[in-house]
Amino acid sequence: MPPSASAERTIAIDERLAADVGLRIGDRVVLATEPGAQRGDTVSIAAIVKRRADPSEVARSDYRIRMHLDHLQRLTGYGDRVDRFSLQTAPDASVDSVVTRVNAAAFGFRAYPSRAIAVETSKTFLVVRRFHRAIGIITIVASATFLLCIMLLKVDERRRDVAAMRLMGVSRATVVRSVLLEASFVALLGSLFGVALGLVTAWFVNTHYQSVYRTPLRFAIVTTETVAISVVLSLLLGIGAGALAARRLARTPPLALFGR
Amino acid sequence: MRLQLALLSLRRHRSRTLLAALGVAVSGAMLLDMVMLATGMRESFASLLGRNRFTIRVSPRGTLPFDSEATITNAADAATAIARVSTVTTVAPVLGATLHVLDAGEPVTAFALGVDPRVQGDYELLGGRHPTDPNELVASDALLARLSARLGDTLDVAVGFDPQLGTFAGRRRLLIVGRARFLFLSAGDRAAALQLSTVQAMGGVGRRDRVSLFMVRTAPGADVEAAQAAIERAVPRVTALSIAGAVAEAENRLSYFRQLAFILGAVSLIVGFLLVTTMMTVSVNERIGEIAVMRAIGVSRLHVVHQIVLEGVAISLAGAAVGLVLGIGTARYLNSILRSFPGLPDAIDFFLFQPDSALRAIGLLVMSGIAAGIYPAWRAASLPVAATLREEAVG
Repeated sequence: MPPSASAERTIAIDERLAADVGLRIGDRVVLATEPGAQRGDTVSIAAIVKRRADPSEVARSDYRIRMHLDHLQRLTGYGDRVDRFSLQTAPDASVDSVVTRVNAAAFGFRAYPSRAIAVETSKTFLVVRRFHRAIGIITIVASATFLLCIMLLKVDERRRDVAAMRLMGVSRATVVRSVLLEASFVALLGSLFGVALGLVTAWFVNTHYQSVYRTPLRFAIVTTETVAISVVLSLLLGIGAGALAARRLARTPPLALFGR
Repeated sequence: MRLQLALLSLRRHRSRTLLAALGVAVSGAMLLDMVMLATGMRESFASLLGRNRFTIRVSPRGTLPFDSEATITNAADAATAIARVSTVTTVAPVLGATLHVLDAGEPVTAFALGVDPRVQGDYELLGGRHPTDPNELVASDALLARLSARLGDTLDVAVGFDPQLGTFAGRRRLLIVGRARFLFLSAGDRAAALQLSTVQAMGGVGRRDRVSLFMVRTAPGADVEAAQAAIERAVPRVTALSIAGAVAEAENRLSYFRQLAFILGAVSLIVGFLLVTTMMTVSVNERIGEIAVMRAIGVSRLHVVHQIVLEGVAISLAGAAVGLVLGIGTARYLNSILRSFPGLPDAIDFFLFQPDSALRAIGLLVMSGIAAGIYPAWRAASLPVAATLREEAVG
C-alpha cells in the first residue's frame, strides 16, 4: 500500500553508496532523474542494503538505490509502466507451457523462461571460463615439462647409485619400480603442497577481489572435484615423467652410468 | 673460450639441456603472453579512442558514454557552449537509439547512431557515401546481410517502440547510401548511422534536442585536461572524459585481467628461474671434480663463475627464442577467446604484440637465467680445491 502523496517517501541505498558518500539511515537526500536538475524529490533513507553476489555487476561501480515502484514511476514520468514482471510458478507447473500461455494471451510484451535469460546474460562468463581453461592447459603443459625435467635431473643424480645396484644384481624392473615409487612420492607430496597453496591462494584471491570490487562474490572456489582432478593429474604427470626417466636409466649399461 | 666451454658442457647432456630449454620456452611464452595481456588492452583501447583525433568524450553528468540511457538535454546550446572553449576545434554530437527495420517479416532491430556526417568519428565508410540527406543511412555489413539488402535499397524503419501499444514514435523510409564499419561496435553487431536530426525527429518528444554524447577534438598540443575542465565549467550537466580517463576507467573495470597477467607472469618467471637453478645446481654438483681440476691448474674463480653463468644464459636465451614464437602463437589463440566477449569493439585486442614488451619479457628471462646460475657457480668456484680433489679421487 503506497503512502499518501504528502508523506515523505523512503528509499534504501546500497552499502557502497552509503560508505562513499557518508550517508546513514534517517538522512534526507534529493533525488532527480537528470544530472544537475534544479528540482527533485526529498526522501529519507530507511535502509542500507547489502549488494547481491551478482557476477554481471562485479566490474561496474554503479550505485544502487531501491524505491517504491509508484514513486519511481512518478519521479521519472514513466506513468503506469514497468520494465518487466518476474513470475513465480507453482513447483509442479511446466514453465514452458506457462511461457507459451502468457505469450499467447498478452499483447505488447513477451515472456522468457529464466534459464533462457541466464544463458543470454552469462555469455561473458562463458568467455572467461574458456580463457581460464586455455590458461589451465598452458599451465599443465608447463608443469609437465618442468616435472619431466626435474625427474630427469633427479634420476641423473642417482646414476652412480643405480649403477651400483645394477652391478650388485638388482634387476632393471626393480630399478624402474624404485624410481617410479620415488616419482609417485614426490608427485603426491607436491600435490598436497599444491592443494595447500591453492587453498591459501584462493583465500587471498577472494579477499583481494572482494575488497577491490566491493562484492560478496567468491572469485575462486576450491571444490573436492578440483582437488581430486589436480591431485590425479599431478600424480599421472609425476609417474609419467618418472617412468620416462627410469626407462632411460635402466637402458643405460651400469658401467656407462659410472662414467667408465 | 668461456662461451665455447659452456656450450660444450651443455652439449654433453643434450636431452637434459633440451628439456630445460623447453621448460624455459614454455615459461617464457607464458611470461610474454602475460606482458602482452598487461599492456595490450590499454594500448589498443587508447588507440581506438584516439582514432580520428577525438580527445574528449562528453556524456551526461556522472555517466560514461553509452553506459546508461541518460541523454544530454538542450544539446544545441551545449554544443555551442563546448565549441566556445578556446582549444576545442570540433564538436561531434552522437545520439543512440534502437532502430526497427519493418520490411522483413519479423522486425529486425539494430543499433542506430544519429551523427553529423561531416564531423563524425563513429564509423569508417567501406563503400558508398555518407548520409548527407535526412532520409539516408549507412549500415553495417551485419545489418545488410540480415536484411539481404544492398546499397540503393530503401528500408521502412522506425524508432521509439512502445511495446504496450505496439506503436512507434517515428517511422520513415530511408535510402541505404553506404556500407560502414562501426569502430566502437563488434563486427557482428547490426548497426546504422543516420543524420542526428533524423534520429531526434523520429524519437519523438523524448529525443528532441538531446544527444547521448559529444565527441570533441582539441587543437594539436592543447592541454586536454584544461579543455576538459573548461567544458565541465561551461556545461555543468555533463562529464568530460579524456582518453586517459576513459582508459583508466576501462582498466579499472578490467583490472582482473591485468592482475591475472601480473600473477601468472610472476609465476612463469619463478618457474623458469627454478628450472634453470635446479639444472645448474645438478650440473655443477656433477662437475665438482672437474671444476676443482680447473681451479688446480690455475683457472680463475671468476672464469668458472662466468662459464657456469653463461650456461644458464644460453639455456635462457634458447628457451626465450622458442618461447617468443610459442608466446605469439598462444597469444593469438587466447586473444581470439577474449575477443568473443559480447559487444566488444572489433578494434580491441587483449594481447597486443609490441617489440618493447617482447624485449622486456626476454630481458627478464635472461636476467633470471643469470641469477639462477650465480649461486651454484659461486658455490662451485669457492670449494677448497685440494679437499675436493681428494674426495673426488677417493669417492
